[in-house]
Parts: sequence; C-alpha cells; structure tokens
Amino acid sequence: MIRIGLGLLALVFMAIPAPAQNGFSATYDPDRQIKLSGAVTKIEWANPHAFLFINVRDTNWAVEIGNPLDLESDGWKRDSIHIGDVVNVEGLLSRGQSKQVFAKSVTLTRTGAKLFAASNKKRIQPPAEPAPRWPDGQVRLGPAPGKTGYWGAASAASLVEHAVPMNAEGILLNLGDADRIAPFLPWAEAIFEYRQRTLLKDDPFTRCLPPGGPRQFQTPHGFQFVEQRQLGRILVLSGGGDRNWRVIYTDGRPQGQADEAVRTYYGSSVGHWDGKDTLVVDAVGFNEKFWFTNGGLPHTEALHLTERFSRPDLNTLKYEVTVDDPQAYTRPWTGGWTVQWVPNQEIQEYFCEEGRS
Amino acid sequence: MKYTLFMRKLAVCLMWALAGFAQQGHPLTGTWSGDWGASPTVRTQITFVMNWDGKKVTGIINPGPDSVPIASVFVDVTNWTVRMEADTKAGHIAAEGRVEDIGSYHRTIKGTWHQGAVTGDFRLTRD
Repeated sequence: MIRIGLGLLALVFMAIPAPAQNGFSATYDPDRQIKLSGAVTKIEWANPHAFLFINVRDTNWAVEIGNPLDLESDGWKRDSIHIGDVVNVEGLLSRGQSKQVFAKSVTLTRTGAKLFAASNKKRIQPPAEPAPRWPDGQVRLGPAPGKTGYWGAASAASLVEHAVPMNAEGILLNLGDADRIAPFLPWAEAIFEYRQRTLLKDDPFTRCLPPGGPRQFQTPHGFQFVEQRQLGRILVLSGGGDRNWRVIYTDGRPQGQADEAVRTYYGSSVGHWDGKDTLVVDAVGFNEKFWFTNGGLPHTEALHLTERFSRPDLNTLKYEVTVDDPQAYTRPWTGGWTVQWVPNQEIQEYFCEEGRS
Repeated sequence: MKYTLFMRKLAVCLMWALAGFAQQGHPLTGTWSGDWGASPTVRTQITFVMNWDGKKVTGIINPGPDSVPIASVFVDVTNWTVRMEADTKAGHIAAEGRVEDIGSYHRTIKGTWHQGAVTGDFRLTRD
C-alpha cells in the first residue's frame, strides 16, 4: 500500500511542470485538488510567475499559470485571455489558508478552449553532430561561430552519490534513502532530513539568492558559457535566478587559499584544460548562504569542488563534480549529470525578484 | 482604515524579510546573544561565538577583555539538544538547552543555566 501511495505521489509530482523558481512543494499541496469557476478580474503577466485572478462567489482567487517564458514558448500571450472572461480552473490548492491555486488546466467556458496548456510539441532533438571546436582543436563550450544556443535542462534533479527516487525539486520519495545521497556527517544528515521534511521551504534560491556550486547547472532556465580566451577566463551566465555570472579563470593563476578569499556564492574558480576535451575547474571560497544543489544538501565554508566539463557531442554537456567538505561529509564524493543543448536560441529574460519568488 | 492597510503591508514586508534568512551551514556556527538569570527580572546579558571545525564546536563566551573559552559543547543532532560548559571567575557554567526553529537564521537556544550554586534559565538568539 505504501508503495502504491508513493507511486501515486510520484505520478502527481511528474504531472506537475518542473518548478520555476519557487519552492513548488512548499507552496502547493499535491493532495488537495480543486476546481474553480469564475470571471477573470486581473491578469498579472510577470516574471517569474504569471497569475490570473478570478472571482469565485465574491472571493478573489489567485491562479498561478506558470512562467511567462514557458507560456510564451508554448504560444500563449498576455492577451490570450481578457478581463471578464469566465474560466474553469482545475489545479492544486496552496498549503495553508490562502486562496491560491496552481492551475493544471484553464478552460474558457465560452468556447471550451483550453488555455495555457503546455503544448504537446516535443522538443526536437537536433541531429547528433560533433562538438564545435576552436581552431586549435579544443572543444567549445558555447555555440559554433555564427550560431546561437545555450545549455538547458539537467538530466538529474539533484546531486547524489547514488540515484534514489525523488521529484523534480529533489525531494526524496522515501526519506529513508537519505544516507545514499551523500556520506553525511550526522549533523549534516539531520539538517538535510529537516529540509526534506519541511519541503525545502527555507531554500535560499526561492528568495532569489544566487545558485552557487553545482546548482548553477541545474536551474530551470539554463546557462551559457562565454569563453573569453584572450582574457583567460570563462564566464558562466545563469538563465534563472537573479541573472548573475560566475568567472572561471583559465589564465594559469594559482587558486587562492580559501582562508584568504572573500567568501561568495560562486567562490573562487580556476580552470585548466585536460587535453582538448575536458575543462577541469577547482573552486573554493564559498559562503554558506546558499544550497549547492536541489534537495537541500548542506555545506560549510570548507566546501571545495572539483568540476569536470566535457562535451562528447554538440547536444550534450557532461558535468561531474567531486564534493570535498570535511566539515559536512565524511569523505569526498562525486556526482553529476548531463545537460541538453538548446540550439538556435538565447537565454531569455528571466529575473527573479525578491518577494516574487 | 489606511493605517490598518499600511500595517498589513508592513507585516507582509517583514514576513518576506524574515523569510529571506534561512539556516545555512552548521546550526551552531555564528554569534548568539541573549541573557540568563535565576528570575525573570534579574538577568545577565551573554554572548556566545561558536564555530564548527568539522570535529567539534568551539567558541567563547562574551568576546572582549572578560571572555572565557567554552570548554565543551555537546550536540545531540537527533533532537538538537545542546550542553555547553565553561569555567569562569564566577564559577563553573553548565547550560543545557535545545536549538529551536532550526530552519531560521535567527534560531534560538533555550534551556537551563547552572553557574556556581545558582540555577536559572537562559535564552540565546543567533544574530
């Protein structure tokens, strides 16, 4: 019975679009389905979440319909619906007492047309091609000359040492699997389990703080490498979050000692190429103000990352990271994922603002 | 009416501001301030600065000319109870409490304080 319940829970999680920036599970309750019908009183088409407000028997309900970038990529616009239109909404009720719903479907009663439904069009996988390269043969992490593109969805919900079932936010379907995630010290495992039990409600990323560490490569709106070879550095631009960037120096400078560094969300990164195919980055000097992966794994200022980026073909970025934080984990451990190339597009204008997570 | 609306908006703003500071790193790391005393009216201000080095929590009480090192800190992470001991001119201190609101940046430790022959209570809030 428990297995069936977990299976149903997993299906509900999978039916929900990947969350944008808010803590989805902390905001909405998958066990509280609701149907509403009412006239639209207001449309808020703003990042990071678009809302309809509808009047249901003189009560105003806020209906979250997703992220404008995703909606627009599916062909929907701000004027797809108008004030006064009557709609039927099916969705998930928010936790607590607030009159807020996450819409799984919005139907215009006048015509029966389904609004804001995700299109069934599947992203067409571009044909497999070799990874683009610089004239000296070194692999490019960005697009080929004259082309555009960025890195999109990660293949894993969270950084783990051993794969276990979890939802798109990194919430484990069975908290008993926690000790397979990473070799936690007891305090770190207790904190991880607390964050999991509280559905990641304290996640700094949902307050628009930067996603340092591996999490930079698993945010919903992708990332982009800008290789400035003449300056000896690579910029990593984040598509989500608060649109900031990380600098990886490749000019041969030594890594600063962590104790001397000003601790930041992205730390201090130096990289070198292992042959022509793999960028190896050493990163230290992190602060403790962020969660370094989905799911709420803790770290301390002693965090030391060794990251390896390779591009086996045009469409695939392989990311592997070794986490060494002796104040949170019993030993170094390694995880990773692949990231899908999004061709012929640029990172769109998404901006997480405090208070609108 | 306008005042009520303003207060509601202020409360929402404060809620967001507080929500923005969540617990990170080891839960005991940081500066904690509060007081202890044998009665609600007679209180002594105290400040703890604690740090986790990967093996144990170390720190000092009342940083400054009269600071004293914390001799030992024991944490039970299954229930977040804490026992801290130190030796001062005024006697041996043994404080036992529980970390509360652990998801908050401004989490607290509340419990019982023994100093010399005096027993009271204490409350610390992480700055």
